[in-house]
Amino acid sequence: MNDMTAMNAADSARAIGAPAIELRDLTMRFGVGTASPVLAVDRVSFSLAPGEFVSLIGPSGCGKTTILNLLTGLLAEEPEGDVRVLGKHPSAGNPDIAYMLARDSLLPWRSALGNAAFGMEVRGAPKKEREARALELLKEVGLGDFADKYPKALSHGMRQRCALARTFALDSPVLLMDEPFGALDAQTKLTLEDVLMRLWSAHRKTVVFVTHDLAEAIALSDRVIVMSARPGRMIADVPIDLPRPRSVRKLQSDHRFHEYYAHLWGLLEQGTTGDE
Amino acid sequence: MNKTFRLGLGHVAFIVAFIAVWELASRAGMLDPTFFGRPSGIVAYLWNGFFVERNLWNDLFYTILAATIAFWAGSIAAVLVGLVFAMLPRVHKACEPYLTLLNAMPRIALAPLFLLWFGLGVGSKIAVAISLVFFIVLSSTVAGIRGVNSDHLVLSRALGAKPRDIFFKVTLPSAVPVIFSGLRLGLVYSLLGVVAAELLAAEHGLGQVLAYLQSTFDMNGVMALLFLLAFLGLSITVAMNWIERRLLVWQ
Repeated sequence: MNDMTAMNAADSARAIGAPAIELRDLTMRFGVGTASPVLAVDRVSFSLAPGEFVSLIGPSGCGKTTILNLLTGLLAEEPEGDVRVLGKHPSAGNPDIAYMLARDSLLPWRSALGNAAFGMEVRGAPKKEREARALELLKEVGLGDFADKYPKALSHGMRQRCALARTFALDSPVLLMDEPFGALDAQTKLTLEDVLMRLWSAHRKTVVFVTHDLAEAIALSDRVIVMSARPGRMIADVPIDLPRPRSVRKLQSDHRFHEYYAHLWGLLEQGTTGDE
Repeated sequence: MNKTFRLGLGHVAFIVAFIAVWELASRAGMLDPTFFGRPSGIVAYLWNGFFVERNLWNDLFYTILAATIAFWAGSIAAVLVGLVFAMLPRVHKACEPYLTLLNAMPRIALAPLFLLWFGLGVGSKIAVAISLVFFIVLSSTVAGIRGVNSDHLVLSRALGAKPRDIFFKVTLPSAVPVIFSGLRLGLVYSLLGVVAAELLAAEHGLGQVLAYLQSTFDMNGVMALLFLLAFLGLSITVAMNWIERRLLVWQ
């Protein structure tokens, strides 16, 4: 039932100890050759082992979304430095990558099932197979009874669950998530974070998670990378040593969680004010 | 008694009262039937036209025929041109000033020209109606395609959708509601174009009958034709709403 080629790519990367994602001295400039070129990302290097969950946090304009878009291959500008996803240079529509945005981007004329299957559909999966898998994923995110409902009939949280189903149904070894819960209220957000943790534990994807929510980053990640305000530089790469499986709700009352929070908050402040 | 039923009853009562006042005022000599006709006379005209002499069926058929042909031809052409514009923005840009100019022209003014070119038959009626339908449907097609949600495009591209897939699975379906409202308007205008051209000169059609009745001062006939045309337009709108509700359940 898994996409064998995708899993093999991740497995072989793991077997030879190669990173799933690797950035070396990544520098991004926009508007090169114009009157006011902007240095968006400045010499960023990090790598993710297969199956690792890493968050990028930083103030607005720190280049975290730029890095994510670069990994999807959607940016027109060429970066300096080297970027690899499972050993390959980024290219648009890379089947190794699934992508999720803050807004659910569900197609209103498709049912929840049709939306969950949409990613597989554009990647050419046969109808029967993709519908079976989409339904399976909808059940996993708790939308099994809503498969034939149109997005207008779903709440915000349910719509984002459906987007999660669409993302995980692709079975790509690498997930890029750009503030996927940024538009949700606090309670719904916690619930969705737990849904994401369950899915991630079950499917073991390599995840780059962009957020400006520190608590979210700590609760979900193996590591948190802190970036400074523009030009985006890496300030710190902090491993989060909290036991798994985690419950995001329970973590809220864990003292280590709050220690990490205070520590990372200090780093973020540093990056925003520009002190070295 | 529920609300819709009460409302419906209100409408019926109003219409009955309206017709009764009209009829009585006419008989009492307060309303000149030479200018306003008389409800009983209007009903008699319609009865005669549809069930005794049966001459109206033929004209109704020609009007509906011309409007239907013009609607289909104009709409299909407009949607196709709209799709070409969506795929080739440069062609769109090049054509835009000419289309704006043509669209700004009162199309009914073309009727004398079309009568000369296409004769007194349905051809000239269809041409006038197409000139109206085409622009309405074209502008709604272009607007619908332009209105596609950019999040949907970004996501589809990131997931690896090919341009063809993006067009047929994202852009086109998202334009359907806007195109549909253009089609609904187009159908009403198609009828308008046909009747206007028939008024000018025609062999058959309700517009031609209307012009004849007006010139012979048959006010009952004129009023009857106006009601007939209003009901025709109304049934078009109701039918299109019904189709839209079934086609666009997701809205």
